[in-house]
Amino acid sequence: MASLIGSYSLFFGLGCSLLVVFFSLKDLKNLNNLDNKILSLTFLQFLLVVLSFFGLIISFVNSDFSNLTVFNHSHTTKPLFYKISGTWGNHEGSLLLWLLVLTLFIFLFLIRSKKEPKKYRILTILFQQIIIIGFFIFLIKTSNPFDYIYPVPKEGLGLNPILQDPALAFHPPILYLGYVGTSIIFSSVLAASVSNYITKEWAKHIKQWVIISWIFLSLGILLGSIWAYYELGWGGFWFWDPVENISLMPWLALTTLLHCILVLEKKSILTSWVIILSIATFTLSMSGTFLVRSGILNSVHTFANDPERGLFILIFLFTLIFLSLFVFFFFHKTDKKNTTSFFLLSKETSILVNNWFMMYFLAVVLIGTIYPIFLDVISSQKISVGPPFYHKLIIPFLIPFLLMMAIGPKLNWIKSELQNKFYLASFFVISLFLSFMIIRMLEISILINTVLFASAFYLFFITLRDFFIKGFKNLAQNIAHFGFSLLILSILFNNFLSTEIITNLKVGETYQSNKLTINFEKIEKKKMQNFEAIIGKFNIKNESDYIEILKPELRIYNQPNIVTSEADIKTNLFSDKFMTMNLVQNQEYFNIRYQKKPFMIWIWFSVLIISFGGLFSLLKKRYES
Amino acid sequence: MKIINLLIIIIILFNFNLSNAKDINSSSKITKNLRCLVCQGQSVHDSDSEFAISLKLVVEKKIDEGMSEKEIYEFLQIKYGDWILYDPELNQKTFILWFLPLLLFLIGGAIIFKNLKIKKN
Repeated sequence: MASLIGSYSLFFGLGCSLLVVFFSLKDLKNLNNLDNKILSLTFLQFLLVVLSFFGLIISFVNSDFSNLTVFNHSHTTKPLFYKISGTWGNHEGSLLLWLLVLTLFIFLFLIRSKKEPKKYRILTILFQQIIIIGFFIFLIKTSNPFDYIYPVPKEGLGLNPILQDPALAFHPPILYLGYVGTSIIFSSVLAASVSNYITKEWAKHIKQWVIISWIFLSLGILLGSIWAYYELGWGGFWFWDPVENISLMPWLALTTLLHCILVLEKKSILTSWVIILSIATFTLSMSGTFLVRSGILNSVHTFANDPERGLFILIFLFTLIFLSLFVFFFFHKTDKKNTTSFFLLSKETSILVNNWFMMYFLAVVLIGTIYPIFLDVISSQKISVGPPFYHKLIIPFLIPFLLMMAIGPKLNWIKSELQNKFYLASFFVISLFLSFMIIRMLEISILINTVLFASAFYLFFITLRDFFIKGFKNLAQNIAHFGFSLLILSILFNNFLSTEIITNLKVGETYQSNKLTINFEKIEKKKMQNFEAIIGKFNIKNESDYIEILKPELRIYNQPNIVTSEADIKTNLFSDKFMTMNLVQNQEYFNIRYQKKPFMIWIWFSVLIISFGGLFSLLKKRYES
Repeated sequence: MKIINLLIIIIILFNFNLSNAKDINSSSKITKNLRCLVCQGQSVHDSDSEFAISLKLVVEKKIDEGMSEKEIYEFLQIKYGDWILYDPELNQKTFILWFLPLLLFLIGGAIIFKNLKIKKN
């Protein structure tokens, strides 16, 4: 029943799209206020998709196995929480969620843009509806979440256990809010080019959408990273895996756009560049979906793929790209009068340098992700591009980038002089000295590390000082930049100070090294709702005789029948202690991996600070108006 | 600026002394750069599959035999192909991969400094 309602809602939702397009085209000639029918229909469409989404959730909660999606991804013994989150833990449901956010955002856009010119608003609706219609057809045709099977099976196939996790329940919706937010930026920029409205006012209006998408995208990536850290059992948080890269690329483009919009808002220059960036951001989000769904990537995160779907998204993607190129070349006129020139040492230049480096990072990630696929297709040679590649190409460029992040915000528009050169230089000397001492202490040898540490410390100290000196001026920016320096520092310390012990132990045995002993005390068995847990109890004694107890688990899920290993993590401000155990085949031994990972929590925390910088600038704007 | 230059020189000198430091964890360093062929996007070091476990043993054995890091990569590359190495070596196939981003960086810089009307003081 719920499935049926959901299924019909989708068709009616698609119908709404067609009506909205019809009324918008009709309304385009009319110069008065926006036709109220458009607003009501957009709202109705949103409600219909909500209804459809709830239909799917209810089917999941009731374990209605006549629904193919529910049958493939659920099981009666699954806890309620994961029955619900299972709704978007699969391809069909996640696309429905995507559609839900699309329709929600265009409705929000309509009610939040009442002050904007009418033609621009209608055109935005039209462009957004093209995307929405594309997604409706994609959903109904290739991945309908309401397909049914007969005879009705008694039991479902279950959800992949590694997806049964709280972080992964929230990760997709939040990431999608970010991804789909870029669709509004895309539609809006096309509409603004057509109606010749790429101005300071437009920049001010679209900036909030850029920031909102940026916050959600940052948080979405953060949740994904946290999940990978504790669920995949190897204690890393970023592996430069293709799927991770794919979420990073729109983030890089969006961050660039965020900085670029600041210039447009103040100076009305760089209009073409803003258009290109907006188009690129959305295209990257879409191609991300394409690459993940089509299954051409080899990744830990691939969980649903089908070539037919890939082909559809590819065609759709190219349609959108051609559409946007058409709009860009035929409608966008660069306003020659308005170009103001500026001096080399100015805020404009520093933001351009930011854009320049960000685009380089984007190019590295893009080429590193795409090139192996490309090479495989043209010459069927397989190569892997992993962390060493990205480190080699990114880290050297990170150094000037960090220094620019510290100095850039201090410059004025058009013309600027560096004041207080003395303290800028002395901070640098202090940072260099400090990092040199640290490098000596850690006994790592490479010169580049010293400079990298120094530049991260430099940004850290400069931003820290600005909190006290500048107070509320540029606070949002300062928070975000401070967060970034903290992120780089935590990653560096985490990377250099992590220690790891891998050994095989059986119950009762003790591993001994000169720094600590690991005692495998016992194992317990526990029966849970949809899995059986084998819990190991380990006593870890360090040099100062302090004993810590860690209890990693093995979980044997009933459906699908998969064994997963759950890490036990003890977190404090300074370090994480991370332990996993795995079965060694046909033996009574367990493979134990114990890691001490310093400053782990600071990595998460600094991403939160960065996102909070964005949130703060939104709040401040509201407060000011 | 002079002070900074001087400091950099001092640091370089100090680092030369340290650069001969011994590689303690060379085995884990090597296995982190190897793809676990039977897994979905995990390194040999991070995986507990049988393939990864046996490969870890192979690497340790080769280190004991006195092979250098580079020789081990070459050995495995011949045996399993380029797919196993996470750090693609520079050759005809990967020329674009390594240099295209750098080229784009240069082009980007050229565009910025050519097209913008930068006033000179």
